[in-house]
Order: sequence, then C-alpha cells, then structure tokens
Amino acid sequence: METDFLKISDLKKSFGTGEARQEVLRGMDFTVRKGEFCVLLGPSGSGKSTLLNIIGGIDTPDSGYISINGDKLEDMDEKQLTIYRRKHLGYVFQMYNLIPNLNVKENIEVGAYLSDKPLDVEEVLTTLGLQDHKYKYPNQLSGGQQQRVSIGRAVVKNPDILMCDEPTGALDYKTSKEILALIEDCNARYGTTVIMVTHNEAIKNMADHVVKLRDGVVRHNDINHNKIPASELDW
Amino acid sequence: MRNPLVKRIPKELASDWHKYLVIVIFMVLMIGVISGMYVGHDSMIAAINRGREELKIEDGSFELSERASEELLEAISSGEKADVRQYFIDKGISEADKEVAKAVEDELQKQVRTTIEDAVREQCAAYGITDEQMIQEQIDSAMEAQYDNALKEARNSEEFKEAVEDAYEEAHNAVIEEVDEKWNDIEDQYGLNDGDFHPVQITIYEDFYHNASEDNDNDGIEDATVRIFRKDSEINGASFIDGRAPESESEIAIDRMHADNVGVKIGDTITVDGRKFEIVGLLSYVHYLTLHENNTDLMFDAFGFDVAMLTGEAFDDLPSRLHYNYSYMYDVKPADKIEKADCADNLLKSLITQTLVYDNEIDDFLPEYLRQASNFAPTDLESDSAGTSIMCYILIAVIAFIFAITISNTIEKEASVIGTLRASGYSREELTVHYMSMPLIVTIAGAVIGNILGYTAFRKMAIYLYYNSYSMPECGIEWSPVALVKTTIIPLLLMFFINLFIIARKLQLSPLKFLRHDLAKNRRSKARRIPAWSFLRRFRIRILFQNMPNYAVLIFGVIFIELMLCFAFGLPDSLNHYGDRAADMVFADYQYMLMRYKDEDGNIIETSEPTAERFSSTSLLYPKTRSSVIDGMGSGGDESVTVYGIADDSTYVDIPGDLASGNVYVSSAFVSKFGLKNGDVITLHEEYENKSYEFTVAGITDYDGGIAVFMNNGSFAEVFDKKADGFSGYFSRNEITDIDAQDIAVVITTKDITKITNQLMHSMGGFMDIFKYTMVVLAAALIYLLAKIIIERNEHSISMVKILGFKNSEIGSLYITPTAVIVTVFSVISFVVGYFLMIWIFQAVMMQMDGYFAFYMTPVSMVLSVVYLLIGYAFVSVIDFIRIKKIPMDVALKNVE
Ligand SMILES: Nc1ncnc2c1ncn2[C@@H]1O[C@H](COP(=O)(O)OP(=O)(O)O)[C@@H](O)[C@H]1O
Ligand SMILES: [Mg+2]
Repeated sequence: METDFLKISDLKKSFGTGEARQEVLRGMDFTVRKGEFCVLLGPSGSGKSTLLNIIGGIDTPDSGYISINGDKLEDMDEKQLTIYRRKHLGYVFQMYNLIPNLNVKENIEVGAYLSDKPLDVEEVLTTLGLQDHKYKYPNQLSGGQQQRVSIGRAVVKNPDILMCDEPTGALDYKTSKEILALIEDCNARYGTTVIMVTHNEAIKNMADHVVKLRDGVVRHNDINHNKIPASELDW
Repeated sequence: MRNPLVKRIPKELASDWHKYLVIVIFMVLMIGVISGMYVGHDSMIAAINRGREELKIEDGSFELSERASEELLEAISSGEKADVRQYFIDKGISEADKEVAKAVEDELQKQVRTTIEDAVREQCAAYGITDEQMIQEQIDSAMEAQYDNALKEARNSEEFKEAVEDAYEEAHNAVIEEVDEKWNDIEDQYGLNDGDFHPVQITIYEDFYHNASEDNDNDGIEDATVRIFRKDSEINGASFIDGRAPESESEIAIDRMHADNVGVKIGDTITVDGRKFEIVGLLSYVHYLTLHENNTDLMFDAFGFDVAMLTGEAFDDLPSRLHYNYSYMYDVKPADKIEKADCADNLLKSLITQTLVYDNEIDDFLPEYLRQASNFAPTDLESDSAGTSIMCYILIAVIAFIFAITISNTIEKEASVIGTLRASGYSREELTVHYMSMPLIVTIAGAVIGNILGYTAFRKMAIYLYYNSYSMPECGIEWSPVALVKTTIIPLLLMFFINLFIIARKLQLSPLKFLRHDLAKNRRSKARRIPAWSFLRRFRIRILFQNMPNYAVLIFGVIFIELMLCFAFGLPDSLNHYGDRAADMVFADYQYMLMRYKDEDGNIIETSEPTAERFSSTSLLYPKTRSSVIDGMGSGGDESVTVYGIADDSTYVDIPGDLASGNVYVSSAFVSKFGLKNGDVITLHEEYENKSYEFTVAGITDYDGGIAVFMNNGSFAEVFDKKADGFSGYFSRNEITDIDAQDIAVVITTKDITKITNQLMHSMGGFMDIFKYTMVVLAAALIYLLAKIIIERNEHSISMVKILGFKNSEIGSLYITPTAVIVTVFSVISFVVGYFLMIWIFQAVMMQMDGYFAFYMTPVSMVLSVVYLLIGYAFVSVIDFIRIKKIPMDVALKNVE
C-alpha cells in the first residue's frame, strides 16, 4: 500500500439556513491510500453521499479541503473539475442511470470515450459477464445486469478512483454479492482505488479501510487486516 | 474515438420518426414554398427586367387631344419651356391689332363718308335742293366718284397716321398689362418659375392606340375593351408566349392573361370594333404586365380589359377614336426614383407650356415609374415574398420552441443520466453539442430538401401563380442568394440560437442537481394551493400547471394559425363582400364620363334619357400623412380623391342641397381609410399644379367604391372656376344610347365592380383554398407535436396511474381534457386576436395603395376558422388517446430513477 493518495481535511458542510439549517459534515479528517478498498459506513442520512460527492468534485464543502496527489480540489475551477473527474474518477450509483436508447456495449463505450487509457471494452464485457447481453438495451436487463453495465461504464475508464454510492442498495442478497465481487475484482486486477458508500455493516469485512461516520464526524477509522473475499460475506 | 453519444441520434430518429417526419415536412413545406416564392420571384423579376431592356420600355408617355405637329414634338423633345408670356402677348396683340385695324378702318370710312355726305348736302342746300331722294342720289354719285380718292387722301394724312399709332400703342399696352396680370397667375399655377428648372431632353415615339370594343364569343355583345397598338411601334414591345405577331390584316395577337381568363386561344376568331380577326399570338406587352386600363384603377382587370397588336394596315382601318399617345425616352437616364420624379416634373413644365403655345392639349401624362400596369406586378411580388418570409420566421420560431421544449423535456427525463455523465467527466459543452445536434440535423435536412423543392416544384408553383395573375413574359431559373439567406441561413441561425439558449441554460445546472432531479428553477408550483375539488379535477389542474411552458407555445402556435386562417377565410370573403355590394360601389347603374360637355359644334351634349342627371368631377390628391411609406403605387404616394359636384336634389347622391361652399360630404370609404369625422378640415391639392383647397367635412355619404368628396354643383363651379353650365358626365338608371361614342370617355356600371372581384377571385381563389387547407394541416401538426410532448413528459406518471388501476378512459380525460380546454378556449381568443390583427394589417396595406378595400369575414367563416382548428385538434386527440393507451405499465417500473 502506498502513502496518502487522497487526503480529507476538516471538511464541513451544512444545508439550509436559519431554523432549517442542518450540519451534515462537521469536520471530517481521514486519508485514503492509493489502491486501497475503502468503505464509508454509516446509517442513512449520516452524510455519506454528501461526502462522496464532495470527494468527486460535484459538490463543494463549506470549509476544509480535499487533496488528491497534492492537488487541492478547491483551487480548481469548473473546467478543471470536469477534467479531474474525467481523468481520475469512475462513478457508480445506486440507480444505474444508463442511457435508455444505447445498448450495453454502447453504454460502456460512453465511459471509455472519456479516458486516455481506457480498458478494452470487450474485455470488460467479459469480466462483467455481459458478453451474452452486449446488444441488449437497458430495459431488457435485470437490475443486477444493469448495475453491472453501470460498473462497466465506470471501470472501463480505468480510473484512479472508483466511487460507488450504495451500488447494491436496490439489489437482492445474491446479486449484491456478485456486484461486490466485481468491484473487488477491479480493485485487485487494475489496482483501482475504491471508495464505496454503504449502510451495510457486513460489507466492511471486505475492505482494507473502514471509515465509520455518525453525526457528521468520523467515529472510527480502522484498517482491516483480515479482509475476506466478497463471496464469503454474509448478512 | 468518436463520441459514442452520437450513436443515440439515429436511434432517436428511428424511434420517434413520426415526430421528426412531421417536423421535417413542416419545414420542407415552409422553406420550400418560401424559397420557391423567392426563386420564382427572382426569376420573374429577371425576366421582367430583361424584357424592359430588350423590348424597350418607355420612360413615360403623354397623350394629346390632337396629333402633334412636327414643331411641337421638336419643342417638347428639347425639354425647354415655351415662352408662354410672349405667346399670350403675341396672341393678344395680333387679336388687338385686328380689332384696332378694323376699328380704325371703320372709323376712317365713316369719317370719309360723312365728309362726302356733308359736302354734298351743303352743295344741295346752296342749290336749294330739298328733295331727300334727290339729295340721296347726289350723295351716292359723289360717293362713287370721290370715295376712293378721299379715303386714300385721308389715309395719308399725318393726322390719321398719328391717331392710328396712338390707338395701336394703347391697345398693345392694354394687352401687355392684361397678360402680365394673367402671367403671374399662370406662373404660380404651374410653378413655371421654379429656379431649379432644367430642360430634360427626350426622344419621342408615336405609340398611338385605339380603345376598341372586343367581342370574344362573337355574339354581338361587347365583352371587353381592347387597347390596340401597331405591330411596327418602335417602343414598348411585346414578348410572345405562344404563337407569333400578326402578319395579315385579318390577324391579331392578344394578351395571354386575358385570353386565358376569357377562354380564347390561338386559332379562335374574335370581333374587334365590328371586324373579325383570327388570334395568331398570345403576348405580354412590356408596359402592360398587369391589365390596368387606367392608372387610377384599384385593380387590374384581365377579364374586361385587353391589349392587342394589329398590323399597321388593320390598325389604321379601325373606326374607333385614335388616341394620340406619345411615349418618350430620356436622353440621359435618371438614376433613381428621386431623379425620375425630378425629370418628370421638369418635363411636365415643358409639356404644359409647349402644348399651350402650339394650341394642343394634354389628356394624360404618366411617367413610367408611376405606371401601375408595369410596376404593380413587380411591387406585388415584392410584398408577397416579404409577407411569406415573415410567416416563415414565425413558423421556424414555433418549431424551434417545439424543439427546445422537447429537448428540455428530454433533459428532464434524462436528468440522472446527465448527472451521471457529468459526474463521470462529460463536459457541459459536449452535452450541449449532443442535445443541439438533433434540431440542427432536422433543420438542415428540412432546409436542404426544402431548397431542392424550392428550385423545382415550388418554383413552378410560384410562377404558375404569378402567371395566373399577371401577363408575365417567359422566365428561366434564377439563382437567388436572398432566398438562400432567408430560407436557409436565417432559419438555421434561429433554430441554433433558440435551442442553444434553452439547452445551455438547462445544462448550466450542477451535476448534483441533475442527479437529485432538482431542475425546476422555482419549486413554487409544487406548493400551489388548489381548492378542495374532486381528486380528478385537482389532478388535472396540476397537470395544467406542470405543463405551463408547453401550453404557452401551444397558445402562441394557435394564435399564429388563427391569424393565417383569418387571412385565408377573410380575403375571399372580403372580395365577395365587395362584389356583393357592387351596388354600393357605384352611384348609379350607369355612370358616363364624357370627353367634354360640348360637342365639336359647341352644342351641349344632351340626352333624352329621363333618369340621366349631370354631375361634375375632378381629381385631387390627399396626402397620406398617416403612412410613413410614401413611395407607394398609384399617384406616387398621395391618395387620389375624386371630387364630385352633384346636382341639387340629386336622385343618386344624397347630400343636402343647402351645403355651404367649402363644406363637403365625404365617402364612407374615405372615412374608413383615413379615420375622418364631421368637422375635420381636409386639404386636397392638384396633381400637376401648385394649388390646394380646404374643405370641412359636413357629413358622410354611404359610398365604398372610392375615396371621394361631394359638394353641390354650384359650389363646384365656384371652387374650381368652371363654367356654370359645365359638367363632366351623367349618372343614369338606364343605358344612354343617344350620346356619340366619340364623346364618351368611360362608362362605369355595377358589372365593372363585379369584374374586379372576379379578377381577384380568379387570381387568388385557388391559392386561398390550398392555403386554407394547408393551415388546417399545419394546425393539426403543430397541436400534434405539442400534445405529444405533453404526454411524453407525463409518460412516467401515466404509467404509474395505470398501475394504480385507473382506466384508460380516466387517464385520457386526465391528460387530454386540459389540452382540449386550452385549445378550445384559446382558439376562440386567438380568433379574436387574429381577426383584429388582420383588420389592422389590411388597413396598413391599404395605406400603401390607392382606394379602399375593407377586411370582412362572414359569420360562417368566423365560426369555420375556429371549427377547422378544432377539427384538426380532434384528430390529434384520437391519436393522443391511442398513444396513452399504448404506454406500457412497466415504464414506471423499468429503468426507474
Ligand atoms: N441538497 C440538499 N439540500 C438539503 N439537504 C440535503 C441536501 N443533500 C443532502 N441533504 C441532507 O443531508 C443529509 C445527508 O444526506 P446524504 O449525504 O444523502 O446521506 P446518506 O447518503 O448518508 O444517506 C440528509 O439529512 C439530507 O436530508
Ligand atoms: Mg446516500
């Protein structure tokens, strides 16, 4: 494991004003190392997505900063942020958000287009077990299959960081484990740093690094020394 | 690597092909028709201009009441003003001299006689002769013997010579004094002393013509007036659309348009002035592109008026009066309209003075730039295309908004995808380009196909339409850069910027907002309070509020369509209305305008027709101060007003007999066009003289046939300094048969009015029908597109309510009823807006021409123009309902967001 790759420092964020004001992040500090599988764990509404969005440069903190390889996000303008996301990030959401009138392969190509160093689309399709479905359209796929495509779209970019926001939130137990295994596989195979948001306690066992959030602060920041493969998770 | 989003575009096209097809057809029709109009128009204009060059169109013409002498023509050619003062002095002096000479001679003879007689009487008295008879005998014999000598002696006496000289001098002085006085008036009257007069040299050509009667079905009844020119005329040539020029005395070539209208063709025989001629050619005279008989005619009349060409022999043989019409060309061509006006002004001064001193008279003077018959068509073409291109832009804007709305709906629908793409690093620009490409592709496709059709089918259509109205020469294809700019470049730019604006604005939102579906600028609509109505009703109202922007475009579209429908229904209605009220457009069943009121022998022209009533008339001009457009047609900017002097107790025109001098009644058309009211003071001025008159409007006469002013005959004579027994013509209930045709200038009957409307209906009727149905289709298409958007936008919720168990009919009523209510309410409101807009547009157009023609719609048309739109909508509703039925329930379940 390499040294500090992503540094989150005293991050604060609140929504609303006056009575309705809600402090979601109240000063968060932690670091993520390169190639690490990091899980952000916390109950619903604890600010996990907000944190992930700030790391992803699509939301901004009120104070504090994020630096990646020493570059501070707050110094970047809109254009640079877009380039940052384009070069370094892959996104997977709970909702698959596929383009309805593009088929599986094309949806993955949409991700590949953005990258200077994309993976081979066919290879990704094989890895994700989508070879048989590559000419199908999203509405012809099951939820799990759609999520695979969504992961494929993020992974094909060969990103430095794969950001996953509750990727298994809408899926059943079995499918969830398959998806987690895929993410794990990417992490191992391509050395992609993974930051995954989840409220599922069981998932922490597959991570290198577990950050537990509660009431807007980091409650636990642990390195997991005996991680187990996704396929052996149980909940 | 190519942006994979590009792959969506053909798929989008394929899946929604009917929507895009409707839009493309829409654009192709609009762009095609408009570029066809332009190309046709440019080709026509090119052909007209070529014709003007090749067929040598005049720079103007004047008609004299008698054939001009060589000297007069020479004098006019020089462009110099005649010395009218010297002319009057010479004329006065020669008359005075005659009188003086005669008076002196008479006096001398009388004196000599008296001297001789006195001498004889004295002698007789000396001889004591008292018998008067003897004295008389003596006187007679003395006269015989001495008179001649005595006269000679007396004549030679110094005394006499002195007396004579005095008499002449006195007489001459009187003449000069009188002329000087009169001269000032004349100078004033003709503006002859304008400092900036300069002679305009011209070359004069004889372009004599006959106005003959034409009987084109040889039934002995006159069908039209035909103006006949000689084949060998050196000016104002004709181009042959078909056939050839006459070669023998029994052959004639006539106007193509007229032949078309009255249904005669090459090989047919027509009767002209009682003689039979075979038609051997169909032509278009360069100075009669439209068949305007008189320059003041409101409309050309290709039914009742014709122009034709005969061989010189046949021409000379015609019995009808010969019109001494002379055409001229400026030796130095004036560059623009201002110079043309200036040249015409100066030339007119020369013409007035020269004809005066050569004892001739001007019957007519018309510079070509004011000539309706040669300028009406090109000007009309111009205004046609201006109107249609404005229509085109409005329509393109409507389509652009439809696109923009479709796209912003799509963007809303795809919000999560967009959010994800943006989060993954797609830039705003890339997405903007992506969402822009569809409308641009469709516009370009429409523009390309439209242009191709514009240069082919639609150009032919446009030319066909022009051929239906005008006597045009044949024309080829002309490349039209204006058409390209107006039909292609401007719509593309319009499409581009409207879409860019809306899409760029939408995509301005942050990726997070897209991911959260937080797109509305203000969320107030959610909070809108709705009364405690039934659930369905509240639901409906919500749908209405949610789709506000769509409905806004729908309403805009409906207003546009209603305006067009008002036009399509209103124009034929207005024409028919005009025709139906033909009786109101004339004063009497017959109105005879005379050449003069005394015949050649100086007798007043009378008629035995008991209903005949004399009237006087003259033509003045009324300035169109209300209009900023001063280079209209007709009288060159000012409105031509006919001033009538009406007999006391007239049976034809209802004005009070005791109308004070200076007070006038005005025609209702005058009132409508210029918004006059009782008590207004109007100032009319002479066309060729610097003289103006002020009248007070004392009342309104119900007459829509023209812009006219009425006063009593007495006032008329007084105001215009006419003889008390003078008049201009007769109104009559029956035809007048006992006036020599040579003395009649024009007869106006109700039939003439009907002819005008027939002409217009013929030219435009077919076009209007096509236009009407096109508008209905357009309306349906527009509503189809907008209704589709509304349903698409609500696809998700429709699917959801289906799952909840709503029946298709209930859902239909939920989503179709609000649109139906909006369309119905706004088609009525839009009709009212369109109707008044049309009245306003008509008024504005009328300001640019002479005469008046009111916009009118029958109640049936009013209802129909709304009903047509609703019928179009009814079809769309059916399609909508089918569309709703087809939305599968899993839309709400699959691909959830
Ligand atoms: N744009 C926003 N405006 C207002 N409140 C927000 C916004 N985004 C998130 N929140 C609030 O912040 C809190 C944390 O949200 P989120 O980060 O989505 O939680 P998690 O992903 O842990 O469930 C929630 O209470 C949510 O209501
Ligand atoms: Mg969350």
